[in-house]
Amino acid sequence: MMTMIGITLKGIFRDRVFQGIMVTACAFLLIPVIASLSMRQVTELSVTLSLSLISFILLLLSVFLGGTSLWKDIDRRYTFSVLGLPLSRQSYLLGRFCGTALFVMLSAAVLGAAAFAVVCYSSAIYPADRPIIWSTMALCILFDALKYILLIAVAFLLSTVSTSFFLPVFGTIAMFFAGGVAQQVHEYILSPASESISPVVRQIANGLYYLLPNFEAFDLKVNAIYGLPLPTGGLLLTLGYFFVYVTFLLSVSTAIFSRRELR
Amino acid sequence: MNAIEITDLCKQFTGKKRVRIDALKNINLQVETGEIFGFLGPNGAGKSTTIKIIMGLLRPSSGTARILGVHSGLAASRLRVGFLPENPAFFDYLSAEEYVGFVGSQFKMDDGLLKRRSEDVLKRLDLWDARRRPIRSYSKGMVQRVGLAQALVHDPDIYILDEPMSGLDPIGRALVKDIILELKNQGKCVFFSTHITDDVEKVCDRVGVIVRGALVALDRVENILKSGVEGYLVHLRLSEDVPAVFGGFEAVRRSGAISEFYVPCPAFNSFMGTVNTSGTEVVLVETRRRNLEDFFLSLVSVGRESG
Amino acid sequence: MKTASTALICIVIYSFLMVPFTTYLHKKPFVEKLGYVPSVTALKIVSADHKELVAASLVLKVLMYFGGQVEKPESQIHIPPDYMAMSRMLHGAVKLDPYNMDAYYFAQSFLTWDVKQYKMANDLLAYGMKYRTWDWYLPFLAGFNHAYFLKDYGKAAEYYKRAGELSGSDLSRLLAGRYMQESGQTDLAIAYLSAMEKGERNPSVKKNFRLRMTAFQEVRRIEVARERYLAERGVAPPSLDVLVRDGMLVPPPKDPYGGEFYIGSDGRVSTTSKFAFAGAGRDTTSKESK
Repeated sequence: MMTMIGITLKGIFRDRVFQGIMVTACAFLLIPVIASLSMRQVTELSVTLSLSLISFILLLLSVFLGGTSLWKDIDRRYTFSVLGLPLSRQSYLLGRFCGTALFVMLSAAVLGAAAFAVVCYSSAIYPADRPIIWSTMALCILFDALKYILLIAVAFLLSTVSTSFFLPVFGTIAMFFAGGVAQQVHEYILSPASESISPVVRQIANGLYYLLPNFEAFDLKVNAIYGLPLPTGGLLLTLGYFFVYVTFLLSVSTAIFSRRELR
Repeated sequence: MNAIEITDLCKQFTGKKRVRIDALKNINLQVETGEIFGFLGPNGAGKSTTIKIIMGLLRPSSGTARILGVHSGLAASRLRVGFLPENPAFFDYLSAEEYVGFVGSQFKMDDGLLKRRSEDVLKRLDLWDARRRPIRSYSKGMVQRVGLAQALVHDPDIYILDEPMSGLDPIGRALVKDIILELKNQGKCVFFSTHITDDVEKVCDRVGVIVRGALVALDRVENILKSGVEGYLVHLRLSEDVPAVFGGFEAVRRSGAISEFYVPCPAFNSFMGTVNTSGTEVVLVETRRRNLEDFFLSLVSVGRESG
Repeated sequence: MKTASTALICIVIYSFLMVPFTTYLHKKPFVEKLGYVPSVTALKIVSADHKELVAASLVLKVLMYFGGQVEKPESQIHIPPDYMAMSRMLHGAVKLDPYNMDAYYFAQSFLTWDVKQYKMANDLLAYGMKYRTWDWYLPFLAGFNHAYFLKDYGKAAEYYKRAGELSGSDLSRLLAGRYMQESGQTDLAIAYLSAMEKGERNPSVKKNFRLRMTAFQEVRRIEVARERYLAERGVAPPSLDVLVRDGMLVPPPKDPYGGEFYIGSDGRVSTTSKFAFAGAGRDTTSKESK
């Protein structure tokens, strides 16, 4: 499995994904310029833009790396040669997943460093109203990365049942949005404003709320941007949620993939 | 213990419009250790399906496949196997050297041995100069050779090669035949599929013929060749001015004093009796037999009629 | 060769096309430029985890649009900015990111002075105060609205107190004491505007504040002259012209918004422009109705 992780990382680097990220990361240079358009919150705006840029890049990575990793191996028939080795399908899948997840972490770290530099620069030129809490910002980026690793696990699950890349890629994007609004929808369903909704729909929405990944909890952007205190207990719960959910997704994926016929 | 053991193997696919296709029909097959086994069949007969089941890539609908007694669904069954898939593809961003190294590490080879073996196989398969280039820049034949290199590197006891000669030029084919013969001398077991009879005839101990998912023949190659004798070509020295008819047979060819007569098996003894009594000199007697190709074609056509 | 010439032809056509094309885009109606904000719920879904970014971009969009509008008056084209569309956008922005200071701050600046939607402005500020609990600006702005526009001195004092506590400076306390009366209105406005102008970074918004402050400084000058006239002659000046003629107002006051100052029947100094570009010349009847 370790070699599989190594091979996966090597593949991502050799496919020049990292260079692509670096090119996209050039957008960081524009952030101080755009942020200076703000009236009162230049630093806050540069934090917002940096975090959003990181989040966006990680989203692209997780959708495309996560959604195409297995599909590509099956489509290009790499699976025949690799799974002909004494490598269990479980180690193969987990190796692929961990390699991709590691790459997302790595990218988050590099992009995070760039974001720190940008925010440092912005706040040096236009002193901020609010204190910048660097640890909050780092945690925000970390939880963002965790969120996208969860999304990669979703992409892998979809890949194990699909024969084309449409389901993994578009399914993952759909899941990303669904997971983002799950909490809002849930709260709406619980609010009195939803009384007109039929109980069946309400039950379905409720079921989906517990089934779909909940990405809301991973979003610490507001805390990072405005230096708001972090909910420590909530973060620990989120961390627990992350591990349980990812493990669940991966075990289902492994079960499906182990039974899959490679024709 | 048999190297490969296939028992009552059936495989059904669900095709378009929910039509069930019997890809394999009750295959029984044992390949012994130290045996070179040719798996012969026309395209689409089920060769690759069988091999994929042996390698655990497909699950049988019923029946089992075992390698050295281990069920083929388990990764452990492949521990002593070198496998070359049909039209292989390997992580194309790696170089041949890296890929062979990756395979070696999967077989838990230690670094020194791996390095030595890797150099050996890459040189043997003429990939040494290209070893640092990514596989995506390789020609089809080179990729095929990488496939052989990665099957050989860990020096397994059993080789399962799906169409090892395809995509290779004549030099490459000769190389592969040499390698298989070498493995035979080392006492390894090689199970390979092909649709080219000549390959089988030259290197195999035994051959199995699969037609439309059914194993229609399974025998030693020499037996097939022996059973296929149809007649003899007898070269006689006859003076040029007598008509080239002898013992009721007309010469099929004459060149100078030598005339060639084709005598089918049943008439051979009486023909030779005539030769003896006439005191004619026998220059050469050649056996005329159906080759494996004819044998194969007859099996395929029978299969076709019955199917 | 052929592809090269095709490319060349395309470049030529492109350069010809660009002139009318850019002109067309430039002349597009402003409302269209500002765009319409889709429902906040939809925005929330689409923006996924980028709500803060979408909020900031809405604010920036409004700012850029407004920046373009402020430049215009100097070329004597008076089209009032579409304040309601701006307000809608900023309200959308704070729904997405209730912490976005720019949105509150900017909405306040035009909702009160230009559109006179005091209630809307105060509601927005109250909404913001729920989130930005550390920010003294919001109660400061609310206090000013209550004192200057609504003349609700009790409420204003409450807000100023809160602003003072949060800021730790005596700015708000100063304001609270001195200007809590009708006569102090102009000073209150000048103090407010100078505080806002100092803290401002956006050039077009800063310019806007300075312009308004200049107008109020002119009003203050007229008021001083009016008081002097009253003290010297014992009667209120019959008109502004009298003050100018008698040399009490040198140089004559000039409304940066292009209107004309006048002294109303109640003695208050006003201007025909109502401290806005849109006001000047649009209705001169306002003088009578005042």
